[in-house]
Amino acid sequence: MNSAAEPVLVVGGLEVRYGDARAVFGVDLEAPAGHVVAVLGPNGAGKSSLAAAITGRVPPAAGKVVLAGHDVTGKSASSISRMGVAYVPEERAIFPHLTVQDNLRVLLRFAVPRDDRAAAVERALEMFPILAERRRQQAGTLSGGEQQMLALARVLAAPPTLLVADEMSLGLAPRLVDLVFESLEKARDEGVTILLIEQYVERALAFANEAVILRRGRVVWRGPAVDAHAELVAGYLGSEG
Amino acid sequence: MGPYILSGLVLGSISAVSVLGLVLTYSSSRVFNFAHGAMAYFIAVLYWWLTDDQGWSVWPAAIVSVLVVAPLLGLFLWAIVFRRLTHATPVVRFVSTVGLWVAIPALARIIFPIISAGSDVQTRGLGGTPPGQFDVLGVTVNWNQATVIIGAAAVAVGFTILMRFTPLGLMTRAAVDSPRVAAIAGINPSAITAISWMLGTMLAGLAGVLLSPLLGISEIQFTLLLVVSLAAAVLGRMTSIPLAFGGAMAIGMIQGLSEKWESANLGFVEFSLDGFKPSVPFVLMLIALLAYQGLRREQFEVDLRAGPTEEEVAPAARLTGWKAAIGPIAVALVLLSVPIWLNDFWIGVVSQGVALGVLFLTFTVVTGEGGMVSLAQVSLAGIGAFTAAKLATDAEWPVWLALLAGGAVAVPIGLLLAGLTLRLGGLYLALGTLAFSQLLRFTVFGRDDFDNFGSGVAIDRPEFLGIDFSISGGRDNFYYLLVIVFMVAALVVVNLRRSTTGLVLTAMRSSEQAAATTGISILRSKLIAFGTSAFIAGLGGGLFAVSFGRATNVSFEVLVGIVWLAIVVTWGVRSVLGALMAGILYVVVSPPTDKLSFIFVIIVVFAMMGETARLIGSKAIYTARGALLGVGVLAVGITAIVLLLPVEIELSEKAKEVPTLLFGLGAVFLARQPRGVLFDVMNRIRLRQLQRERQLADGATAEAAT
Repeated sequence: MNSAAEPVLVVGGLEVRYGDARAVFGVDLEAPAGHVVAVLGPNGAGKSSLAAAITGRVPPAAGKVVLAGHDVTGKSASSISRMGVAYVPEERAIFPHLTVQDNLRVLLRFAVPRDDRAAAVERALEMFPILAERRRQQAGTLSGGEQQMLALARVLAAPPTLLVADEMSLGLAPRLVDLVFESLEKARDEGVTILLIEQYVERALAFANEAVILRRGRVVWRGPAVDAHAELVAGYLGSEG
Repeated sequence: MGPYILSGLVLGSISAVSVLGLVLTYSSSRVFNFAHGAMAYFIAVLYWWLTDDQGWSVWPAAIVSVLVVAPLLGLFLWAIVFRRLTHATPVVRFVSTVGLWVAIPALARIIFPIISAGSDVQTRGLGGTPPGQFDVLGVTVNWNQATVIIGAAAVAVGFTILMRFTPLGLMTRAAVDSPRVAAIAGINPSAITAISWMLGTMLAGLAGVLLSPLLGISEIQFTLLLVVSLAAAVLGRMTSIPLAFGGAMAIGMIQGLSEKWESANLGFVEFSLDGFKPSVPFVLMLIALLAYQGLRREQFEVDLRAGPTEEEVAPAARLTGWKAAIGPIAVALVLLSVPIWLNDFWIGVVSQGVALGVLFLTFTVVTGEGGMVSLAQVSLAGIGAFTAAKLATDAEWPVWLALLAGGAVAVPIGLLLAGLTLRLGGLYLALGTLAFSQLLRFTVFGRDDFDNFGSGVAIDRPEFLGIDFSISGGRDNFYYLLVIVFMVAALVVVNLRRSTTGLVLTAMRSSEQAAATTGISILRSKLIAFGTSAFIAGLGGGLFAVSFGRATNVSFEVLVGIVWLAIVVTWGVRSVLGALMAGILYVVVSPPTDKLSFIFVIIVVFAMMGETARLIGSKAIYTARGALLGVGVLAVGITAIVLLLPVEIELSEKAKEVPTLLFGLGAVFLARQPRGVLFDVMNRIRLRQLQRERQLADGATAEAAT
């Protein structure tokens, strides 16, 4: 991997506020192309707020978000999405009342060139046979795991520049967690840069290149994922003192 | 039978086109557009102006009105109002669209001076003038009717194709399903909403253009169009387009067929069916609401990006002890001094306003404290008024006792209504109470012994303790009586707010679920609020009738009630002073006279808007700037009233629409800044202070860290 290349994501001095409450204080973050950066931290550390600010769902109060050299600070979620950022949140990014096929058509619409749209939908359906079987079923009637497959199918059918995976494995059966990580590996092998927010610390560290640990909205540790050994992480993630 | 089926089919087709627009805009933005009929009216008036005044032929006029101007109107209104409403409270959403409902027709009459408020004109139809005719199965159909049916069918087919088979339809369905996920997928939800408002307005406009050659352009017809659309939307559970379309057709058919029978003879009793046709939409709406109860609540995802853009700080702490009394005493002094600086005519007008202020406290309780939008309060007031008038005039009870009885009679009916509708949330409660209220109007108030061919029932002014309250000698006394009644009622409301019930209601407004989990009985508190508000409505209705000398149906029409609620909310629905100001404002602007002074008064009144009430009684007024602002506004207001009231200038037809327009704009303003101008100003000042404090605090933290 060429770490000298321009990083896909650069976050500088990012601050997120909800009214008077501050969730993220001056966070710096860098994700080189093709790397997996794990963002770890206890509940309320500001992980999801960070993801929300990067993907444009919450306007940052201060700081910068630069995507492949373009400043996207304060841009809307839809325009950031069109710049090649896929966001897969824990709470299933699908349309419950549309069919599986229509879901993919919408999710892939701005992710692939016009003449590849139909083919991309078919690619996505092929990846998970269960989805192909249920292509005319409303997505809301799928099980939790199948819904997450739908979200993953979108990512794999049209690899984004940056994937922000926010607690994707939350609430899934172990077999499905395996599937999520297998899919993420596939995506990484396709060259997707991944910002991985995870509760399965061990698995996340085994998978990631770098790790960042957040606590109370600030970065308290950062370094290569291999250095983030068990005691160190436990020390940071343990109960708030 | 044939002609009735045809007429039902035509009526149904027009409202089906209309409801499609209503459901589309609701689905995409969660704003239920009470101005839908008014938009149809605007486009119909434009169409009439083009064909009749400008000499255009019908098809170009229809195409320009429906396909060009209507979407632009929709886009414009979306940009200035609807866009901001998705994240507003249900009350603000409701009031803002009601404001447009009132303002748009006024605007249409200002722009196109060929039409006046009460007029009813036929336009030339698309089927030719006079329309050609042909026979189908022995029924004569004219081409205007045929155009309507063909138009509705074309809209249904076209709309289905658009939604099912085009990328725009797919993205619209996605954005309606989940705006949050749509944004993640790269769809701009605002663009989709804007497009749906354009389409929705086009459909409203088309309904208007189809309706006007058959039933004419009058506000009544377009209100009926709105009402049928509301009912059909409820039948379609607000979001199902096929169900709503079918519902509209069904209502049209039932209404059409009901014209066949004027009365129903059950052998032993004969019913008049006069009130049946207009009740159909409401009966169906009420049945549907009760049947759907609990099945579906108004729910939508909140898009964090689109949250309040202006940062707000908490209002200043309320005063305690003797200082708290300063505000109310000042208001009382101003009120009691009114007979000194106003002439007899205006004392009469202000008396009616104070009586209405008592009535408006019902909204302070049920909407302000309870957070519920009830549109039946006006009917409860009507019950109070008619009960009092009947008892005082026909049964010769003392007037004061009859008034109290009027309030008491309203209570069980209010509780019955509450029992029926309280489980419905937000918008559904509003529609349920609307239906209840209209049914009461058609089945009870419409009876001859109440309606009396529109003249109602007379009621005298009270006389007791030897004091003369009559018009001839005791005008001032009657005014003082009303002021005292208002103060007592206001005291009751303020104490209710401070009681346990008030606390429960406040908790409930923040989160009904959270309040319920603490073990308090929400139902009990809601019932107490509804019962109290019913009594106040009944008493206020009686007083209002006394101040007029009669209880009439015109005073207590449901639409009047909706406008009342809108005015109270614009002024501040949590404040008793807001209710009083709203009452006086309403009476001052509503009499149809040609005096310029009204316009000045309303401008002044808008300048003083609602927030003065909030300032009095909060510590903010004791800051130099707050006090200056309050005193200044009050001084300008009183000076303007004293100086300008005697000025009488003949007004043109156009200018007469201005107060209505201003009221509507007030509601639009509400959408932009739900808490009013003065709040905005104070908020900015306090925000700047807060920022300074924050910077200092941040500096201190940084220092401590190093």
